[in-house]
Amino acid sequence: MTTQKKYPIPSAEQEDLEESLGAVYHCFERGIRDKKSILAVLEEVVNVEAYGKLLSRGYAREAGSDVELSGEGMKLAEDVTRRHRLAERLLTDVLALSSHYVDPNACKLEHIISPEVAQSICALLGHPSECPHGSPIPRGECCREAGESVEPIISSLDKLSDGEKGRIAYLLLKNHPELHQLLALGLVPGTVFSLHQTHPTYVVQAGETTIALEKDIAEKIFVRRTG
Amino acid sequence: MRAVLDSKVVATKLLALVGNPNVGKSVVFGNLTGRYVTVSNYPGTTVDVSRGAGWFAGEQVQIVDTPGILSLFPKSEDERVTRDLLLRERPWTVIQVADAKNLARSLLVTLELGRLGIPMVLALNMSDEARQRGIEIDAPRLSKILGVPVVETVATTKEGMAELRRAVSSARVPSVREDLLAEAAEALDRVVNCLPVPVPAREFVAESLLYGDATVWKPIVQVSESVEREGARCMTVSSSASKRFARPIRFLILDSRQQKAREIAAEVVQVTGATGSTWAQAFGRLSMRPWPGYLIAAGALYILYQFVGVFAAQTLVDIFENVLFGKILNPAVIRLTDFLVPVPFLREMIVGPYGLFTMAVTYALALILPIVTCFFLFFGILEDSGYLPRLAIMLDRAFRTMGLNGKAVLPMILGLGCDTMATLTTRVLDSRKEKIIVSLLLTLSVPCSAQLGAMLGMTAGLSWKVLAIWFCVVAGTMVLVGWGAARILPGVRSPFLMEIPPIRIPQAKNLYKKIRARLGWYLREAVPLFLLATFVLFVMDKTGMLVLAREAAQPIVQGLLGLPAAAADSFIIGFLRRDYGAAGFFMLAQNGLMDPRQTTVALVVITLFMPCVAHFLMTIKERGLFPALAISAFVFAFSIAVGGLLNLVLKSGLIGV
Repeated sequence: MTTQKKYPIPSAEQEDLEESLGAVYHCFERGIRDKKSILAVLEEVVNVEAYGKLLSRGYAREAGSDVELSGEGMKLAEDVTRRHRLAERLLTDVLALSSHYVDPNACKLEHIISPEVAQSICALLGHPSECPHGSPIPRGECCREAGESVEPIISSLDKLSDGEKGRIAYLLLKNHPELHQLLALGLVPGTVFSLHQTHPTYVVQAGETTIALEKDIAEKIFVRRTG
Repeated sequence: MRAVLDSKVVATKLLALVGNPNVGKSVVFGNLTGRYVTVSNYPGTTVDVSRGAGWFAGEQVQIVDTPGILSLFPKSEDERVTRDLLLRERPWTVIQVADAKNLARSLLVTLELGRLGIPMVLALNMSDEARQRGIEIDAPRLSKILGVPVVETVATTKEGMAELRRAVSSARVPSVREDLLAEAAEALDRVVNCLPVPVPAREFVAESLLYGDATVWKPIVQVSESVEREGARCMTVSSSASKRFARPIRFLILDSRQQKAREIAAEVVQVTGATGSTWAQAFGRLSMRPWPGYLIAAGALYILYQFVGVFAAQTLVDIFENVLFGKILNPAVIRLTDFLVPVPFLREMIVGPYGLFTMAVTYALALILPIVTCFFLFFGILEDSGYLPRLAIMLDRAFRTMGLNGKAVLPMILGLGCDTMATLTTRVLDSRKEKIIVSLLLTLSVPCSAQLGAMLGMTAGLSWKVLAIWFCVVAGTMVLVGWGAARILPGVRSPFLMEIPPIRIPQAKNLYKKIRARLGWYLREAVPLFLLATFVLFVMDKTGMLVLAREAAQPIVQGLLGLPAAAADSFIIGFLRRDYGAAGFFMLAQNGLMDPRQTTVALVVITLFMPCVAHFLMTIKERGLFPALAISAFVFAFSIAVGGLLNLVLKSGLIGV
């Protein structure tokens, strides 16, 4: 009896293909289209057979000295780029990984993120338009539906404006004495609050507790807006 | 024999008041004991532990008021004091005072107290404020959930105090427990089981060890030495147990406890909608906003100036000095001394130009006392009204340039009253770096109220420019030195994080008792030093040393600073008390011995000058000998340099006064 997995772990071959398409897409973004340069890039970041496989699968074709992607190839390339850059944003913004760890992890994540997960990440981050390095993130179906500019669902407290209300999602202060103080004052994940003001310092009202805090701390409190 | 023993046991019964900061513990304490301690809104001022005695069901019981805590697992000095006291003295009963408006936070402490195994009562204090905001608590239900008596109180009006007294006799150990994660509970059990048998509050000690806090042994080690040795083994067990968790186990358990506290609160609290915001709440909100917050802050400082600088330093001092002392007391004492003391030497010691009465007592009571009293009254109102933390918000940005945060507002403003007292309160600051910077700035730039009063008196009748130059130089050097110190000193600035209490109308009775305590402290500190300083001057005058000292100081006083020779006296006594030194200048100015330029220079130098002896000793006590000496050496050189520079600038005519 065989079990059909809904989300199979991608094979090494498939990973290489996605990796190659991402690399080609990135070359195109920078205006590099000639076969010689692309071949060199693919050999460096994937392997020597990568180029041949793109051609044989029909994802790419040669046009004179240039390379171009087929319709299907382009779609897949955009998709993998999008997943990679969303993963980068997730690791940077939400998990606050140092940049040193972001890239290798994003490279692994991009292959196993399903379309549903990519969509929720995109919504969670507020349909971001750029990756942490400043490259554009190809827009997905969800972005087009959400309209032009959407505020991220989760953002740090310092991004909120006067009078906004929210619920604390998580605190990024790892082992700081401030974390203990915040927790003991009752600013724990799940707390509903309203932001009374942002200048000269942030003042948060949660229940009957009023707490003044500086931007340094506000940046590390991530909240879900509740309108 | 037996009767004696019994009565001794009865007398040592101890009742401890425990609770979050600003919940009115001290007022409950005052009600139960009839004795009062400082009550204030500013988080962290009840550092000292107060003790008293009260009667419960015909028995006399010792009562102790512990510093406010957020958690019994200490992160601050205050919390450590409270925990150590509870472990070391094992009270007979604990009354937890809770803010009825903020039940979940108090329940967190209740859950922690449950781990101590001490019978307790929960007092839901400030229930009037809660009712006013439409918060209703089902006390009988809460009592059932917690397994302890629950009493609603309003300490300020003594409401519920009789019920609280009665409830003490039915105190119970809380039966409520948080639902820990299975793994956390198991880790906790392992440490509990490894603890030696005679250890009290086993669950609490085990949890502390699990958090890697070995200081928990200190208050209970007296149980026996071997316990500590066995305890060391438990430390190893606990560290291996806590290593199994990805998140610090402290936060895992805190999460569970937090959740339980909220569940209970949700079950017993009903919010029926506030009965509209009162003007006090509205004012509290407005005073935090840039507009009109800065205006209110400026207004508060202006009232301070009018009240202390004009009303106290000029009107009151005039009445006290010229009328009471000048026309009545001093002539009477002089006549009395002439009559009673036949020896001219002794007579001069009491009523001469450097007389203990005519100089020291007159300064202390006629000049300093009215000013300091008015300042403490004003500061007490600021503190009790809850405005100070709001001022901290407004000043946070300015303090940031000096490597501090808004919290430094308490010591800095209190420094305008008494720098010595202010140095003591630097304990509320978080890091050593901030404590040193504030100690330095208090020594350098913050004149105390007595000094300030005498100085404002000197400027009376002079151009506004004198005051403006003085203010700009002092404020400018403060920011400059603070900025420089923030960059030179190692360590980091801690970010501003502070709870803001609601605005309350100060109570006259509380204010009176607070001012009386502060004034008493001040007079005990100051008057003996006044007398000593005068006596030193008198001896120096009689032995001819004063002339020598004046000559020695001449190049600096007359040359560099361009002041009259007699100004050296003020500097000499300024070493003993800065305000006394300022008063000396005040006399010189009053007698027309200084022109406006000299007055300006004198004002700046005496403001920046050395700390007084009491302040210096306090700095040594709080900061250590080396930092205190370094601060003083810097301040001494810096004040003379700035004064000399100012003298040059004024002489050159670049700025006219």
